[in-house]
Amino acid sequence: MGGLSNAAYLFIVAVGLSLVFGALRVINMAHGSLYMIAAFVTVVVANRLGLALGFWVGLLAAVIVTGAVGVLIEIVVLRRVYREEHLIQLLGTYAVTLIVAGAVRIIFGSNYRTMSPPQLFSGSLSLAGYRYSVYSLFMIGAAIMIAVGVNLMLYRTALGRNIRAAVSDSELLSASGVNVARLFTTVFAIGAGLAALGGVIVAPSQAVGTSMDSDVLVLAFAISVIGGLGSIIGSAVGAVLVGEIYSFGLVNPYTNQFALAFVFIIMTAVLTIRPWGLFGRAEQ
Amino acid sequence: MLKVAGLNVRYGKSHVVFDLDLTVESGQMLALLGRNGAGKTTSLMGILGLLPGAQGRVAIDGADVSRWPAHRRAQSGLAYVPSGARCFPNLTVAENLEIAARRRAGSNGSSSTSSRGTSWTKERVYELFPKLGELQANMAGGLSGGERQMLAVGRALMSNPKVILMDEPTEGLAPVIVQSIGRLVLELKQTGVGILLAEQNHQMALKVADRAAFMEKGRIVDEMPAARAINSEVLHRILGV
Repeated sequence: MGGLSNAAYLFIVAVGLSLVFGALRVINMAHGSLYMIAAFVTVVVANRLGLALGFWVGLLAAVIVTGAVGVLIEIVVLRRVYREEHLIQLLGTYAVTLIVAGAVRIIFGSNYRTMSPPQLFSGSLSLAGYRYSVYSLFMIGAAIMIAVGVNLMLYRTALGRNIRAAVSDSELLSASGVNVARLFTTVFAIGAGLAALGGVIVAPSQAVGTSMDSDVLVLAFAISVIGGLGSIIGSAVGAVLVGEIYSFGLVNPYTNQFALAFVFIIMTAVLTIRPWGLFGRAEQ
Repeated sequence: MLKVAGLNVRYGKSHVVFDLDLTVESGQMLALLGRNGAGKTTSLMGILGLLPGAQGRVAIDGADVSRWPAHRRAQSGLAYVPSGARCFPNLTVAENLEIAARRRAGSNGSSSTSSRGTSWTKERVYELFPKLGELQANMAGGLSGGERQMLAVGRALMSNPKVILMDEPTEGLAPVIVQSIGRLVLELKQTGVGILLAEQNHQMALKVADRAAFMEKGRIVDEMPAARAINSEVLHRILGV
């Protein structure tokens, strides 16, 4: 269960990373930074407003703040590097992670912060002889809802159709009358929003600190690579795999030093057999 | 209708299209003829606004669109049938059509049945190409070359364009399909659509075009009525026939 609740927030973060890569073909190193901003905003707002409403107001504030930062990053940084090679894009978004990390330290300080789950989802309940925290169940439920929501958005709306079209041919899309620049900003904002939701949901379950950007980025990359970049099902399966293996590694006192290594052993194994990931498609 | 003046296109340091001037009138077709690498595709993409290195004046119905991005040019009446019948392979046939759906620029719903004929919808495209109707739920990536060409033309029609820019729509297609594309082009002209057709296949092109422009090394070297072009010396020289 600990594994599944880890899988839940990791999925939410990884699906945003994957969506952005699928449409914009940019590997967004700053994705973890957006997640961290959201977690800090949630903790600060929640601790100020209290148990009943704090989490929910924090969620709203975090999504708005992070979405705005995301839009800013897309317009200021990404628009300049879409036509460049991946290395330049990596450097550009990596620079953003450094700037955000510095800004977070200045604004929030470098102490760890914690918060309690919202009243609605506090406590625990027993199921089939085991006790589960209600908040873990909420995390899993939220991840499933987000998976369904992203899927509906992609396959049932005009926006989703345009995003899928941009994945295959953004030039033809603009010649068909679609404002691709605005579409890309929208996709990036959605990606930032997903990073934010991941950060909000994780905030009551872990200590919020200034290293959480790179911590989550490494795992989200592993998930995307295992599942196949650009694939939602892949992100889900990858998240469950990574979440379970990572938790298994952490729980066991003999292996908790090497928990991350387990993740990368799995990733290496998948890449050896299917270099494009479990559900990805080989690039032509 | 479509007027291009002094269009120059550069890719980095190399200059590919030089001082292109051309006009496509409503209900008329201009064939842009030339060999591979003469600059035909680059010219079309420059007119469409897809190349950042393009400079020069492009006007649609008298409105200067030179500084507009590609999607606004498309919204104001330019449609594109790219070479190789490019489609969105991961979208269904129906989605490929819906993506370009647009009411005719400058007309509101009530006046859509003007002298130019009714506006294009998915249903009308399926009437024109029944095969596409049968395949509407299929992924475009699985279509045959001829079917994809129909889809590319259908997608262009869905935007109810004033001018269609076609890039070698007959390339690699069976003669029967080439003929039906020729017939379709004639019908489109009658509805008042202007067509700019870039082709190497001069036989089909000159049969349906009104005028022909010959392109060589990035420049238009000659322009004349299509009827005269068929036996012209420049046709022999440039296309080697």
